Formats: sequence, structure tokens, C-alpha cells
Amino acid sequence: MSSSFVEFERQRSVVRCRLLEEIRRRRLPGAGGWSHCGVHFGTEPTSLALLALYSFPPGSTVLGEELAPLVARQLPNGLWPAAGDGAAGVSFWASALAVNTLMTLGATSETFNASLNALVHCRPLEASWLVRLRFRLSDRQVRFDPTKHGWAWIPDTVSWVVPTSMALITLGRAKRQGLIRGRESEKRLRLGAEMLLDRACPEGGWNAGNALVYGVPLRPHVDATALALAALRFHYHLPIVRNSLTWVLNRIDCPSAYSLAWVILAAAAYKDARLDVSPALDMARNRLAALVEDPRAVEDTSTVALAALALEPENTNNPFEVKA
Amino acid sequence: MSPLTSRRVFGGALLARTGALAVRQLCSTGFLRDRRRRRSRVAILHGDSYDGPLDRTLIDGLRLFDLNLRGKTVLLKPNLVEYIPGAEVNTNPRLVGAAASAFLALGAKTVLVGEGPGHQRDTVLVLAEGGLEAELRERRIRFVDLNRDEIRKVPLQTPFTGLDCLWLPRTILTSDFVVSMPKLKTHHWAGVTLSMKNLFGVMPGVAYGWPKNLLHWKGIDRSILDINAAVPAHFVIADGIIGMEGNGPLHGSSRDLGRIVLADDPVAADFACSRLMGLNPLRVNYLAQAAEFLGNGTPERIVQLGEMLPATVRPFAVLPAFAHLRL
Repeated sequence: MSSSFVEFERQRSVVRCRLLEEIRRRRLPGAGGWSHCGVHFGTEPTSLALLALYSFPPGSTVLGEELAPLVARQLPNGLWPAAGDGAAGVSFWASALAVNTLMTLGATSETFNASLNALVHCRPLEASWLVRLRFRLSDRQVRFDPTKHGWAWIPDTVSWVVPTSMALITLGRAKRQGLIRGRESEKRLRLGAEMLLDRACPEGGWNAGNALVYGVPLRPHVDATALALAALRFHYHLPIVRNSLTWVLNRIDCPSAYSLAWVILAAAAYKDARLDVSPALDMARNRLAALVEDPRAVEDTSTVALAALALEPENTNNPFEVKA
Repeated sequence: MSPLTSRRVFGGALLARTGALAVRQLCSTGFLRDRRRRRSRVAILHGDSYDGPLDRTLIDGLRLFDLNLRGKTVLLKPNLVEYIPGAEVNTNPRLVGAAASAFLALGAKTVLVGEGPGHQRDTVLVLAEGGLEAELRERRIRFVDLNRDEIRKVPLQTPFTGLDCLWLPRTILTSDFVVSMPKLKTHHWAGVTLSMKNLFGVMPGVAYGWPKNLLHWKGIDRSILDINAAVPAHFVIADGIIGMEGNGPLHGSSRDLGRIVLADDPVAADFACSRLMGLNPLRVNYLAQAAEFLGNGTPERIVQLGEMLPATVRPFAVLPAFAHLRL
């Protein structure tokens, strides 16, 4: 092992400790939880902060009181709002992330059984034949197949790449743990994966979900591509997934810690599939450590927490890895 | 003109006219409050390039309006969509930086820059790649990610989307003086994207997602009207130094205009910008309606400061669906 490798490793470990310290410092007073930037609860920062603090080492005991801030914000229908007390309504992205967090940290299934059921049974707008007809007849500027649907950000809207990816990661984990079964969930998982594949950019990668508008291909986004790759690990045999991995590995010079952390967490699942992944991950972790060297300068707590997760050296309990 | 284009021109013009008449009816029956001021002011300034003395140009331009900024918190809201190398997609960072310095020079207590990009979730990435992060760092101006700001519920008093409220970022509601800083572009769904459409970017992604799809389903034109009625911008600085024509807002072609438009009324600003683009604002659906209750569009209610609108302009290229917009 070279001395420079050891030095980088030590540096990453120091930065990770600082990040964890910063997460603890940002914990909201009172009911707890974390906010993106201010003092209002956010489901994404809270979920990611809990994962960063408690998912390593794997199998460590997480007390119920540590999960309480997240569980306390669950709505009566089993889902979560993205922010605040729930008045702004349900977010499927936030809900999938919260359930994945609870499963990863070993919460009792009673806390999230209703959530899994709600995630399986919720439908985006294009699940309705009337909306599909509209897309087929008049609303045709964006190229996509409306018969393949995933998950929307919020109710009464259509599917998008990021919430669909997180829902697939979460439901994939639930299936593996025997928490969901049956034809309905199988169909939902299959349709969700098909929707992601349908929305891929022509040269690989994903953006919010519009690959081709007025015949012009739009550019992929780093974070959306990483999340979709995490969800589609078992579709690596498909050229579009392989091309997308290549695309994202070429973006490790990305100047944003949020996107780079997602790349590290997603690409880690492909280490066994390709020889170029591990060296790229190593470089990406060094770069990430440099970007978040001063965690107080990072405004969004989600970024602080994601970076802490991505800098974990032996990522054996990666919360976003879909395993067989 | 082909028969199809003729039908589109006729249909588009009729739609905008009908919408405007419906809004006028709503105002006359008391369902909608007429918020127009007696007079609005618009200044068109020369700005040949982003390397010029923009700070000076803006200070001189803002002085024409005699604004009382003393002790106020000013929020600049540029249009940041995403970074595409070589494409003029976003409000130029140098103009944003110059505006921040100009407001501070004119007495503002604090200047913030805030935006919530609609498709790209990683706001930090858009800032860094587009050059705004470096510009603001150099000028020591704080940026607020409106997509992840704390949110507050604001009841709607206009009926266009049918929504009873909007969730809005705390920063926009607590700022004393909101400045919309659009880039002059054509838009493949709204016709043009100017200071009013730019306020789509204040809708927080944390509540509405990426993109803000609920508002698309409620209708882009209708959402623009409700948002602008709920969060009126106090001032406009529009980046018309280089605009975008054709398949905007992302994949159109750059178009040199060499102008910066300042106004104390977003509707008046968008009317002036449309005319600079060689497009008829009364045929832009949401602008025709906005001019009936939100702000001024008619020349007799607009005081023109600085230089006048050019007598002739080469119209911006538009997609066939918006052929009716050309003057």
C-alpha cells in the first residue's frame, strides 16, 4: 500500500469525522430531525443524517429514540412530506427515502408497512388512460412512452426519474427482505424500471425525465444519472446502463459535493462489474473530501450527510445499493 | 404563409384576445382586483457586452427611477436553468454581480441572490458551472437556494390555477425588494420567458418537485398569473445583451440585442422586452391577461426612460406553434 494512498485515506477519515460532527451540531432542537438550511424539519436531510450517523458499522444497534424525529413526521397514510409538518402534502421521493432509511437502520416493520403499501399502490397521472390518450394525441413535444410509469414527486403529477429511482431502491430492498410480495409489487417494480430505461438520454445518463424535447436531446444530470444507476444495478447488461455508467464516471471532476456523493454511492455497486470503477471511486472520494473539507461552509445538510456516507471507506452497508 | 401557419396565427391571437377579455370581465364584476398602478416606468439601456462597465450602467439606470432602497433587503432573482457550454441559457453572472453591487451602492442594506432551478436539482452545480458562484464569492454576495429554503403557505387571491394556496420560500416573502432578472428568451411552451415567467423559479422544488410539474398541469400561463399576483416583483432588470431565439429556453440560438431593460412593473417590462424581440406582447397569452389587472401594457400608461424602443426590429425566430407572436 503506497504512502500517498494511506495519506489520502487518513485525510478522508478526518473529513468524515468533521462531517459527522457537523451533522450532530445541526440537529434541530426540540422534536429533533434536520433541516436543509434553516430551522424547519426536512425529510431528506433527516433521513440522510440518520443514515450517515447510524448505518456504519453495519448491524450496529439504533435506538428507537434516534429514529423518532423521522417517525414522528409520518402522515396518517404512511407517507412523508418533503418538509415541515405535512401541510404541504405528500412527497413520494421523501417517503421512499424515509422508508429506505428505516429499513436500513433496522426499525420495526410496523413503522413502515403502511408506507410500503402506499408506495406500491400510488399512481402517477399517466397511469390513467385519459392522460395517456392526451400524451398520444396532443402533448407530443416530449418523447416518452406513457404506458411505462414510475413515481411522481407529488400527487396529481406524472412520473420523474429521481422519485422513481428512490422508490425502486426502497421497494427492491423491501422485496429482498420479504416485506413486499405479490404480482402488484412485481408489476410496479417492472414498470418503474422500464420507465427509467425509456427516459434515458440517447447517449446515456438521465436528467429529470425529459430525454428528447422537440426532437432535441437534452443533457443528462449527474445526480439523476447516479440515482437511476443505483436503481438499475441489475440491468447492467443493457447498453444504455453501461453507457450511463461510463458517462457518470467521466464526471468525477464535478464541482458539486451533492452530485459527486451520489456518484460514489451509486457507482460503488458496480465495482464488481467493471475494472475502471474502483480507481474512479478512489479519485472521486479524494475530490469529495477536498470539496467538503470545511463542512460549515456547506449550506445544505443533505450534502453534508451524503458526503459523510460517500466517504465511508468500507461501504458494506450502502443504503442505496440494490442487492440480489 | 401556409394554411396551417395561418390557422395557428389566427388561433393563437384569438386565444390571447379571449383570455384578456375574460380577465377584463372578472375585474369589472369584482372577482379580480385591478392592481395596476397609474403609471409604470421602463428604461432601455445600452449594454454592448458583458465585459463593459455594467456596474456604472446599472447605477445610472437605477438612478432614473429614484428608488428608496435605504435599509432594505434586496433579493435578485436571476434565471438559472442549467449550464450548457456555449449557450446563452442563464442570466449572465456578470450582470447579476453588477446589479448586486449597484443596489448596495444605492443604499440597500443587504443584497441576496436567490433561485430555484426547475429541472436541475443540484443548484450548487448550476452556480459553479455557470460562473455565478465565482462572481458572487468575489463580490461577497450570499446565494439562497429557493428550492430548499423554508416554505410558507400563501393563500391565493386569483383564480387562474384553481389552487387555493402556493407554498413559497421564506426568503422571497421576507425580502423588502424583489428584483426579477430574466434573460430575454423564446420559450417552447409559453412563447416567451421574461420577468413574469422567471418567477416560476421561486416555487420551491422541495414542495413541487423537479420540475414543478403540478404548475405545468395547472397550465403554465395560468400559473404565471397566479404566481405573479402572489409574489409581485418590485423591479425588473432584464438581460437583453444576448438573448435566445428559436427553440428556447435551452436549445435556441444566441441573439445579440445589446440592451438591458429596467422597469418598476413586470408587465410593462415584459411588454417592452417582447417588442424588443419583435414579438407582439398582446398575443402572448399570459401577458395579454396580465395587462388587464396586474400591470401596465398600454403605451399611454408607461413612461419611457432612457432610449426609446427601436423603430424597426428583426423579430426573434420562434417555433411554428408561436408564429402568431411575430409583430
